[in-house]
Amino acid sequence: MSELVVLALKFAFLALLWLFVLFACNVIRTDLFGRRVSAAAVASEVPPTQLKSRRARRADRKMPTTLRITRGAQTGLTMPLGDSLRIGRSNDCQLILDDDYVSTRHARIVRGDNGYLVEDLGSTNGTYLNDARVTTATPFGLSDTLRIGRTTMIVEK
Amino acid sequence: MAEIVVYRKRGFASLVMLLIGVALGVAGYLITMLNQYGKLADGWFVGPAIWAVVALVAWAVVRWRLPYADPLLLPSVVALNGIGMAMIYRLDQSSTPVMHSADLQLMWAIGSVATLCAVVFFLRDHRRLQRFTYLWFIAGMVLLLMPLMPGLGAESHGAQIWIRIGQFSFQPAEIAKIVLSIAFAAYLTEKRDVLALAGHRFVGIDLPRARDLGPILIMWGTSLIVLVFEKDLGTALLFFGLFVMMLYVATERPSWALLGFLMLIAMGVLGYAAFDHVRVRFESWLTPFDDYGRNLQVINAQFGLASGGLFGTGWGQGRPYLTPLSKNDFISAAIGEELGLVGLFAVILIFLVIVARVLRASLASREPFGKLLAAGLAFVFALQVFVIIGGVTRLLPLTGLTTPFVSQGGSSLISNYLLLGLMLTITHQVRHPQVQVPTDEFATFTTDRTEQMATVGAVGAVASARAATARDDANERLGARPDPDALDAPTEFVSEASGAGVGASQTNASADAPTELVGGQPSGRPASESPWQPDASDAKPSAWASLNDDEPGEETQALDPLDVPVKDEEADK
Repeated sequence: MSELVVLALKFAFLALLWLFVLFACNVIRTDLFGRRVSAAAVASEVPPTQLKSRRARRADRKMPTTLRITRGAQTGLTMPLGDSLRIGRSNDCQLILDDDYVSTRHARIVRGDNGYLVEDLGSTNGTYLNDARVTTATPFGLSDTLRIGRTTMIVEK
Repeated sequence: MAEIVVYRKRGFASLVMLLIGVALGVAGYLITMLNQYGKLADGWFVGPAIWAVVALVAWAVVRWRLPYADPLLLPSVVALNGIGMAMIYRLDQSSTPVMHSADLQLMWAIGSVATLCAVVFFLRDHRRLQRFTYLWFIAGMVLLLMPLMPGLGAESHGAQIWIRIGQFSFQPAEIAKIVLSIAFAAYLTEKRDVLALAGHRFVGIDLPRARDLGPILIMWGTSLIVLVFEKDLGTALLFFGLFVMMLYVATERPSWALLGFLMLIAMGVLGYAAFDHVRVRFESWLTPFDDYGRNLQVINAQFGLASGGLFGTGWGQGRPYLTPLSKNDFISAAIGEELGLVGLFAVILIFLVIVARVLRASLASREPFGKLLAAGLAFVFALQVFVIIGGVTRLLPLTGLTTPFVSQGGSSLISNYLLLGLMLTITHQVRHPQVQVPTDEFATFTTDRTEQMATVGAVGAVASARAATARDDANERLGARPDPDALDAPTEFVSEASGAGVGASQTNASADAPTELVGGQPSGRPASESPWQPDASDAKPSAWASLNDDEPGEETQALDPLDVPVKDEEADK
């Protein structure tokens, strides 16, 4: 190995190292703003099966049908889920809870393609699915617990 | 049609980067071989081939399970790991008889990539980690304090941060940094509102309330225990720094960061004043040349870096093996010697790329847990690199942390690949197109209610202003007052506009509305047919449309801005 080859290899390696860094910078630069596409294109681009989370697929197999109150003033009450169910204290809700910590229109449950979803309607005290606060429409399945105010409900078949 | 921003998958760019990353490790290995022996040994292609296959498998699994994961993370890690293995191979060659720790490291890398694949395959959504906050917390603390258990902990080079079970020795702090990041993120997601409450105001800074100091005191105490009994400044710094930074990110209050910094200084001063081993570390940092025997390691590393100079000596041409532990703690000194300042900086930049990409994912994340977790993981990774390379280059007192992905050691490699799996999962969740986001009118009512109220108020104001202009326009053209029904418009607009903020198509609807009113009235269309009401299917993005079967009229009531505070009062008793 001549001195020259050693020197050339040394600088070739450093060049490759910096090439990597510069390529990385270029990827970061071109990735900065993303790409603007229409919302419809995105919706059609992603096949619905990919949207299903593991949870939702499990829910597909075992579709829950009822909601049973396990704690609170109305313990024991069951309510069929149906297509859409609104929960709150006001009279226009399907499931009216007798609970001071529940908002007028607190949450709603809707049937999606992959199972049921629960969504908080901007309630004061929040809706909790398995003790995690629901911030977006969240899928749920059998034996999940839903806490609204001081009332706890369990999802059953 | 509304437009939303999506990130491209960048699969090809990622593959090219990956191949360069593999090439870096392979080139280092082969150049070392050439420089040491003048020719390539028999079977020189076996190691590189295995490494290339492993890297490609990892890439393919990540592409398959997390197609939107950040394109740069995996290639950067592969490059770092490759350079690390090449350097370990190079250091093997200078021991007599020649060691084979590079082969072992390759085996560990295969195991680590398998771990990564398992994480990528099974986790997919980091939000599943949000449960069990306190279990994570306890697990992290136990891991952190494990080396203190008699019979389990092992002291090496003055610091007791290892545990030894039979043949294997293992640094639990490596796993603890991941576990505690998860625990802090989950805890702060719940508690950040409380912690953000301000107490006294002092020289322009809102100090937190005294009763909220509990968590930071616990962390400070734990770090102090680590410092005093495990005798390791770096680990103490790493975990306390992680907690303070996440507290700052969660609450956005500089006072927490300031308080943490002061507590860190107090910890350092306390340690320096009371304990010999801390003083030794400080002395070998500030005045290493006073005691050649004791500070041989640091001094050798300095001379190595100096002899490397700007461009280094070249692979296999320097003498980095003179430094004790050059394969673990001091591998960055070895890289600095053989690749020079230019090479060491490139390696540090690759670390920086990883940190920057994860921090960017944290910025882009839409939910607090992902945001905090990404910020925490990025920070703890960055801090570890900073502490160890800073220690080697005598910017900081030296500590026995490993250089992630580069240093020799199986447990370190596996836990860092675990970290990589988490990072990839978060970036995938952040970057993939959000069709699922419910762009319903209630979507803006999330956790921080005060913020949301302001938004609603502002949107309402804009909307009513807009509606007023629209009405004026109509008056001008028609010369008469519009139907009183049009006065519903402001509330109606709130619901539309707040949905639009999430990226739905309502912007168009609200922009069209005025012209529609103007065009609609003369043709005799009854105003009660409310031209303000956008068509339901048009207003909702397609993914959500099927879920929403409420009659449209109800949205107005639920979103009346005045309704919200009333609800607050009535329920907050």
